Amino acid sequence: MRAFLSQSEALHLLARSPLVIAAALVALLAIAGAALAPLIAPSDPYDLASFSLVDGLRPPAFLEGGDTRFLLGTDDQGRDMVSAILYGARLSLVIGLGALAFAAILGIGLGLAAGWIGGRFDALVMRIADVQLALPAILTALLVDGIARGLLPSGARDEVRIPVLVAAIGLSLWVDFARTARASTLRAKNEDYVQAAIAMGVHPARILFVEILPNVLGPLVVIATVDLASAILLEATLSFLGVGLPADAPSLGTLIRIGMQFLLSGEWWILWLPTAFLVALVVAINVMGDFLREIFDPRLR
Amino acid sequence: MTRSRPFSARLARGGISAIALSLALSLALSLPLAGPAAAETFRWATTTDPQTMDPHAVNAAPVTSFLNNVYEGLVRRDAEMAIEPSLATSWAPLEGEDGWRFTLREGVTFHDGSAFTADDVLFSYERAASEESDVRSWFAPVTEVRVVDDRTIDFVTSAPNPLFPDSIANFLIMDRGWAEANDAARPARDAENFATRNTNGTGPFRLAARDPGIETRLAPFDGWWDEARHNVTEAIYTPIGNPATGLAALLSGEIDMISPIPLQDVAQVEGREGFRVLEGLETRVIMLGFGHDRETLKYGADAGAPNPFLDPRVRRAVALAIDVETIDRIIMRGKAEPASQLLPAGLSGYSEANDAPLGFDEAAARALLAEAGHPDGFSFGLMCTNDRYINDEAVCRAVASMLARVGIDAELTVMPVRNYWEELRADNFDMYLLGWSPGTFDAEHPIRFLAATPNEETRVGSWNFGGWSNTRVDELLPLVQQELDPAARQAMLDEIAAILQEEVAYVPLYVEPLIWAAKANIDLVQRPDNFFMLRWVRVN
Repeated sequence: MRAFLSQSEALHLLARSPLVIAAALVALLAIAGAALAPLIAPSDPYDLASFSLVDGLRPPAFLEGGDTRFLLGTDDQGRDMVSAILYGARLSLVIGLGALAFAAILGIGLGLAAGWIGGRFDALVMRIADVQLALPAILTALLVDGIARGLLPSGARDEVRIPVLVAAIGLSLWVDFARTARASTLRAKNEDYVQAAIAMGVHPARILFVEILPNVLGPLVVIATVDLASAILLEATLSFLGVGLPADAPSLGTLIRIGMQFLLSGEWWILWLPTAFLVALVVAINVMGDFLREIFDPRLR
Repeated sequence: MTRSRPFSARLARGGISAIALSLALSLALSLPLAGPAAAETFRWATTTDPQTMDPHAVNAAPVTSFLNNVYEGLVRRDAEMAIEPSLATSWAPLEGEDGWRFTLREGVTFHDGSAFTADDVLFSYERAASEESDVRSWFAPVTEVRVVDDRTIDFVTSAPNPLFPDSIANFLIMDRGWAEANDAARPARDAENFATRNTNGTGPFRLAARDPGIETRLAPFDGWWDEARHNVTEAIYTPIGNPATGLAALLSGEIDMISPIPLQDVAQVEGREGFRVLEGLETRVIMLGFGHDRETLKYGADAGAPNPFLDPRVRRAVALAIDVETIDRIIMRGKAEPASQLLPAGLSGYSEANDAPLGFDEAAARALLAEAGHPDGFSFGLMCTNDRYINDEAVCRAVASMLARVGIDAELTVMPVRNYWEELRADNFDMYLLGWSPGTFDAEHPIRFLAATPNEETRVGSWNFGGWSNTRVDELLPLVQQELDPAARQAMLDEIAAILQEEVAYVPLYVEPLIWAAKANIDLVQRPDNFFMLRWVRVN
């Protein structure tokens, strides 16, 4: 049943694709940089007292007028761009991974249950999924964000901004997980080993998670990788539109929104550096997702 | 294209030229809109849509400025800000009592054709001075308005009021018959009524179509009493919130004029042929206000704790912690002017004696905070707009960062101006950003609106959101309003300026620069109050 490649085959495939290796390196560096931001970043961009407007609008250190304290320059508030990007990426990744976990748990849970229970429940879940597919992800996210803004008192909004974003993005990504999990549950339900487990009186939850779920892990990992890139992009889009994170706790999208003001003014680093980082991160994750798909899907080889 | 090029490169080039072609095509298709075929169509943009078409509902520059094209006052300001006759041809002090008599212009009609009479002025006064009006404080000194005959009206004031005609340049006259027939006899400030989206004025332009937040079209009024200096046949206004988008719209020819353009892009526009930048200083002072009228803080980690801003030392520390010079240099690109009072230097009544700003001194700020019992600082909420003043959000973020350096943690809430005034009126702030441009170009104006204790009855202090209150200022204000001797008046204004500075009622930051950009073929007048008057626009 398993369609995985052997380890050596996978390594062989990897060795033939320098692009994938490069992508893995980029993603690894970006993720490590984001994860270790508090240790390696020159300053803390969330600590308002740690930077000063006096240093505002400095170009990167290697250009004329640059300052060695600010390798990639500063923004209009005097915030070090290196630190802002690393912390921004950290926030983007936290939200991306959180949204992914939200989508995976919701989607896999619903998919397994729908496939197992069948009947009306299955029909209901799948119709909801169809409706969800018809809605663009950005619209779902805006809707959730809008409802949360409406329901919450103005003082409470800031504390729940990240959970709201996670839920908003997660809700727009669960369908792929649910469909994949349901399809494999439907297929596996009639397999002998599952029938045997049923006959032995094993608890359905145990059958679902121990017998069926492992079979579908491969495709789910591929979906998760690609969706991580989507989640990061979606967060960036929401923050760019100004419904995401505020300017004093900037994610990559917020940094790009701030940088937009300097699109025509000559201070290119404020816009282009976070944008380049975001693009590199998302492309790298997508390339890895494609590679994983190749490994897990023998037909693509 | 050479043969040696790899196919992919050729493909890429082909793709690019296809894109270029389609771009050129779409440009060509959109050109007739801006081309010579409709040379007198004038399109302009600002960041803030006038939130209402009702001239008495909201006393904010985007509304008043826009509506001055549609409605008119008894008097108006010329390009140099001097008062000149408009719907009134002359005015003189009343004999035997305090007040002014206005003689009205003959033969003026409203856009719907009905005649303009003294009764419309009386009606507009009743409407503008009503409970529901946002401009009622203009009429604080007025005790009675009397229609003498169809062409004569008296405004009786409680005391001599030499500046009264100047103070009502933005008092726009509405037609009684039209307003009453459409159930709009009173302004609707937070709700809507007929006058929110429809107009019937006497001005050079009438409202042709109104799509709030999207587009507003004006057409010249053929029956205008004055000789038209403009040659505009249609004027289209679009609010563009993002200044970079607005600038792109100007440079691509989509619009003819924009106000303001981002300071960082001035050089970009100046360097291009066919465009020009109009630069000046607005009469608007950007300042920070405090919540003076509550015992506890409302926002931040210390919400519910005693309000530290009640202590003048804390307010002074805030002022000392803010480095206005650097805000000017980095965020305002050196185009602002540090301010020390609620109005810019040079305006009438400006206090030369109190010219010096408090200055920037972090150490002194920390010392004052410690002295006031906040050695470890505190946390509070700062409210800000992000689409009202030039770089307002960036300024607030810089202020928060500067305050953090002396240990006070400002939790910043940023919102578009359409929700802002309501939040301020509901007291939802501990500190807030405010810009003020004195409509009368005199020091009495900000005192009446911002420094007088809010009072429903006398209609003063209507924009004093923080409820700042000082008995001496309240005592002096009516005296200032009545004083005819310039030296005595200035002495009182000096005293008030000194009190406001000593008590740090507000923290004046800087005078806002005025930066417009237009196509080179457009003639227009940049008035220092940032009002944009279509009647001076010529499309060449």
